Amino acid sequence: MRLEEISFRFDTAPTLAGVSLKVPAGAFVSILGPSGCGKTTLVKIVAGYLKPLAGRVLLHDTDITNVPPGKRNTGMVFQNLALFPHLSARGNVAFGLEARGLPSSEIHQRVEAMLDQVGLKPDERNRQPGNLSGGQQQRVALARALVIQPSLLMLDEPLSNLDSHLRDQMRGLIRQVQRDTGVTTMMVTHDPEEAMAMSDLIAVMNQGTIVEVGTGRDLYQRPRSAFVARFLGLANIVDGSVIGHRPGSSLLVRPECLVINGEGVPFAGIGKVINSEFFGADVLVTVVLGNTQVLVRGRPNIMPQPGTEVRVSAMPGTIHELPADGES
Amino acid sequence: MTLLRASIAILLPTLLLVVGGTAAGAILTVRMSLHAPGAGAGLFEPGSVSLSSWASMGDAHHRGIVLTTILAGWGVSLLSTAIGALLALLAVPFAGLRFMGVMVLILAPRLSGVIASLFGLQRLLPRGWIGSLIAETWLLVPYSTLILVIALRGIDPHLVPAARGLGASRWQVLRWIIWPLSLPAVALTLQLGWVWGLGAFLGPLFLGGPDQSTLAFEIHHEAFDLGRWPRAAAEGVVLMVLTASAMAAGSWRPRP
Repeated sequence: MRLEEISFRFDTAPTLAGVSLKVPAGAFVSILGPSGCGKTTLVKIVAGYLKPLAGRVLLHDTDITNVPPGKRNTGMVFQNLALFPHLSARGNVAFGLEARGLPSSEIHQRVEAMLDQVGLKPDERNRQPGNLSGGQQQRVALARALVIQPSLLMLDEPLSNLDSHLRDQMRGLIRQVQRDTGVTTMMVTHDPEEAMAMSDLIAVMNQGTIVEVGTGRDLYQRPRSAFVARFLGLANIVDGSVIGHRPGSSLLVRPECLVINGEGVPFAGIGKVINSEFFGADVLVTVVLGNTQVLVRGRPNIMPQPGTEVRVSAMPGTIHELPADGES
Repeated sequence: MTLLRASIAILLPTLLLVVGGTAAGAILTVRMSLHAPGAGAGLFEPGSVSLSSWASMGDAHHRGIVLTTILAGWGVSLLSTAIGALLALLAVPFAGLRFMGVMVLILAPRLSGVIASLFGLQRLLPRGWIGSLIAETWLLVPYSTLILVIALRGIDPHLVPAARGLGASRWQVLRWIIWPLSLPAVALTLQLGWVWGLGAFLGPLFLGGPDQSTLAFEIHHEAFDLGRWPRAAAEGVVLMVLTASAMAAGSWRPRP
């Protein structure tokens, strides 16, 4: 799937300005960005629900920019799932196949196979969406989008309405089903952890443009801008540059790459703790180093109290230089 | 005081007024129908008990009136629902001020005043069964449309794009999504039209011919033109029974 210079402007939707993106066949790509950056608008354009002002959408090298949604052979899971409330889970999944006029025996076979694949139990299949749990509804929505064997699957914030336990569960299921079916997938999310956990590639959007594309690891560890660095997670960004490089750059070091009172790591500085927060699996400590505040993520058994002096050091190879022209 | 108790306390006077008023009216009408017709200037014979007014309810004249009334009920019900559905489907895609404008146009017949509308229709339509039916439908359509617009706007706006994205045609979306989801509202407008049509009075008054008398029209004629209140009351009881049957039939739902 390829997007070429997509532009869009409308009163009721965020503006897009020359968005280009190439999604390799079979890949799972996340469109990640803050609210209002245009990511849902972009997916609606790809799905055919909105027409771009300029640019092209290509699927298997075929221009589908002006093809109506139902003829694009794309599947979509909406943010609110948009399950048909008067139909059973089976009825919802069969809908797209019935619309295509397939024989009922084939519909039955494909629907049951798809529901097996997403793990919806047989006794849940005749229930209407209102009588299914959030996770079960999610499975139905996924099955409904996949049963038509789409060339492209689009997921618009599919996990945003679930609690954290269910979100973890569904994250694994979506990825598993995507791998099994091999369908090229585009997911919209504002959650960087979700994007990094699920995606082969992430396209970070801001203010109607794609600011950076890369793997989760690359974007997290070696972003090209302070915006991407901050959007993907907690970041310590300090002025400075690597000796011999252009001046005016910034240095990024993630809180988990800093160590408090660590043994065998190069010494960085002594600072005063001003805050400690306990998160169960780890602690987040705010330390003032000179005139800079830094965040340090540490093990939960070491939780320095505010006011104490600590030695802060960075693990070797974890400091990344942000390019000077990167957005701050 | 809990919210439920407060709600009951607020609603109780209204509920008592509606139930009490309806029950008192029904009882008085039944009682009136059992009096002997008044001799001379009286509306009825006080203290009398007579079935003479009921004796005429089965004659050919009244059978015809009852049939006309039932047909008016069905006719108004079907026509107002069909026209209301079309208008609602036209209005729903609009948003904001445009939607308000369309709704004002749809509601205008009611806002402009019933009598003014009927005088206008009288100039446009021929007197008779069709004119009478159109007049009653004209009066009801804004209400039917309003109910259906509310129902259609209550449908999750993502359902249609979801269905279209799955390959459904516009007709399939209408048949498989919009129609079943708006069915409760359609049933409500059919029931409303049925009850409204059974009580048709102004339509027959302004546009009906001599053979299109409905029960409501006949009650008025018996009571105010002929002064036969017990007979008008007996016709009123028949109309109440028809209306109650329509309400009961409209409220019936098959067991799941």
